[in-house]
Amino acid sequence: MFRFIASFFTKLIQMMLQVLSSKKHIIHNLLSIYVKTSGGQTVCLDIDPKCDVSHIKKLVAPQINLQPDELKIIFAGKELADDYVIEECDLGQQSILHVVKIKSPKLNEVFRCSTPKANLSPLTESLDYSTFSSEDENTEKPLERKAHFYVYCPNCKGLKQGKLRVRCHFCKSGAFTVHSDPQDWSHVLQPKQITGTCENDPEYCQELLQNCEPTFAEFYFKCSEHVSLGECDQAVPLDLIRPNLRHIPCLACLDVPETMFTFPCQKDHIACLDCFRSYCLSKLLERQFWQHPEHGYTLACPNGCLNSFIREIHHFRLLDDDNYDRYQRFATEEFVLRSGGLLCPQPGCGMGILAEPDCTRITCQQCKYVFCRNCLQGFHIGPCDPVEPSLDAQGNCDVDLNCPVVEDPSRTTIKVITKPCPSCKTPTERDGGCMHMICTRSGCQFHWCWVCQTEWTRECMADHWFA
Amino acid sequence: MAALPRRIIKETQRLMQEPVPGISAVPDDSNARYFHVIVTGPEDSPFEGGLFKLELFLPEDYPMSAPKVRFITKIYHPNIDRLGRICLDILKDKWSPALQIRTVLLSIQALLSAPNPDDPLANDVAELWKVNESEAIRNAKEWTRRYAMDN
Repeated sequence: MFRFIASFFTKLIQMMLQVLSSKKHIIHNLLSIYVKTSGGQTVCLDIDPKCDVSHIKKLVAPQINLQPDELKIIFAGKELADDYVIEECDLGQQSILHVVKIKSPKLNEVFRCSTPKANLSPLTESLDYSTFSSEDENTEKPLERKAHFYVYCPNCKGLKQGKLRVRCHFCKSGAFTVHSDPQDWSHVLQPKQITGTCENDPEYCQELLQNCEPTFAEFYFKCSEHVSLGECDQAVPLDLIRPNLRHIPCLACLDVPETMFTFPCQKDHIACLDCFRSYCLSKLLERQFWQHPEHGYTLACPNGCLNSFIREIHHFRLLDDDNYDRYQRFATEEFVLRSGGLLCPQPGCGMGILAEPDCTRITCQQCKYVFCRNCLQGFHIGPCDPVEPSLDAQGNCDVDLNCPVVEDPSRTTIKVITKPCPSCKTPTERDGGCMHMICTRSGCQFHWCWVCQTEWTRECMADHWFA
Repeated sequence: MAALPRRIIKETQRLMQEPVPGISAVPDDSNARYFHVIVTGPEDSPFEGGLFKLELFLPEDYPMSAPKVRFITKIYHPNIDRLGRICLDILKDKWSPALQIRTVLLSIQALLSAPNPDDPLANDVAELWKVNESEAIRNAKEWTRRYAMDN
């Protein structure tokens, strides 16, 4: 009797385990995808990643009242061939496939026979860094690990691996096939580089363009690390972050990182991501970023290579949130100053103000402080108060400390120990060395003489180069 | 104290294994970021025959910020002040994390041969030295003999 009960229980437990494990197995393996039709209808499918594209066609066709062989499935700029297995397509959970009706199945059959199979694989499959970056041309390609793109994902708030996707430049539909593969970053980052066929509504796009130019592909990236949030789910490509396939050492720490930041200077100047972060941070704290007219507030290769400015400023998202905020603030301040504006001098305010050039009475919109444009003190009638400290040639200040000071002590100290750059008026402290000053403010770099407070000349060099 | 970054270890090893001619840089026993440096005065300069002691310190954020270098031996040179502080662009705004201890010390040695060669006004240096040449060189030689040749 006991034996019977015992065996019954073992059997029961085994059965339960089986059910549990098989259930787990199923849940684990199913892939949830959306198939979008040109009519705007979306079909949700739970499929086994081991099935092929023809299976999807069979599932979708009855739902949209068509035959499977009338359908064409498009993903990431390419039509997927019938025998293509889904798990090889690089589809994530809740990815969107596009299905369109073939205009004439016969014609398509002919076309398909003449097309090599490689062309009918998804774009992301046929692209890898060895073909995508010209820098690998001369080396053999030891691609042990799969190469990938990097993005800044606004949803995950961080650096993530990204996936390349394609849509129509004009109607933004994902039902779009490219005529050729992109060969380098410029094809992807610059608009209208690669032509293709919009399968969504070709007439609409052609009419829109009035046949004056072909339909172009628009490339975009999505984060591969969160479940797709629909067609608007996009991430910024960080094209300078790449896998370090050639094992180049970081210019700062000399380690060979797996993932590198490539400075845009064509000289193999790379940094590991940690060193890139500290490079950005130290330059930021020294206010040594440059306000570039096209790319914005940015940095160049630390080796000073020509034309090596970082174009995509989202790379600075690698800074932590506080410092990225600081980066944005500094960029705005620099922009305001460059545009002839000024910053509210009230401690804790710093509001950017653009005022008429001849207006000297400035009211801050933020804190309502009213100040004089010229001396940045509270507004006054008549000439500004000359509070310039007198400094002798040795840079020693001669200030009467007994004189009553009614203002902010930091401001007084700044006034006492600094002299303004004759070009940009930035208060400058001389902490040693010679009298030859080079303004440290990025974009100014004026050479001036600490003694004369004018441009550095050969007379300065002869008379008082150093004290 | 935080662990020494690999970059500093590598640089120190290389400085020991392949020293730069005319320059010695030895880390302090108690602080691996502090180096005792000796630079020999370059030939055909007023500093020839002198041995100049310097101190070099790698700050916390090295190599993002430049090493701090100072002459300990007194030297008569237009780009070095009486406290031994050096006016050299790569120690200030032209610093790059791709530069190293050895490149800094080589630049300092070069600075002894030619005052501030990277200055945009360097074309005028030769002319300036024509004005003061004999006296400046006499002073520099005298200081070298007096302060840099004791040992």
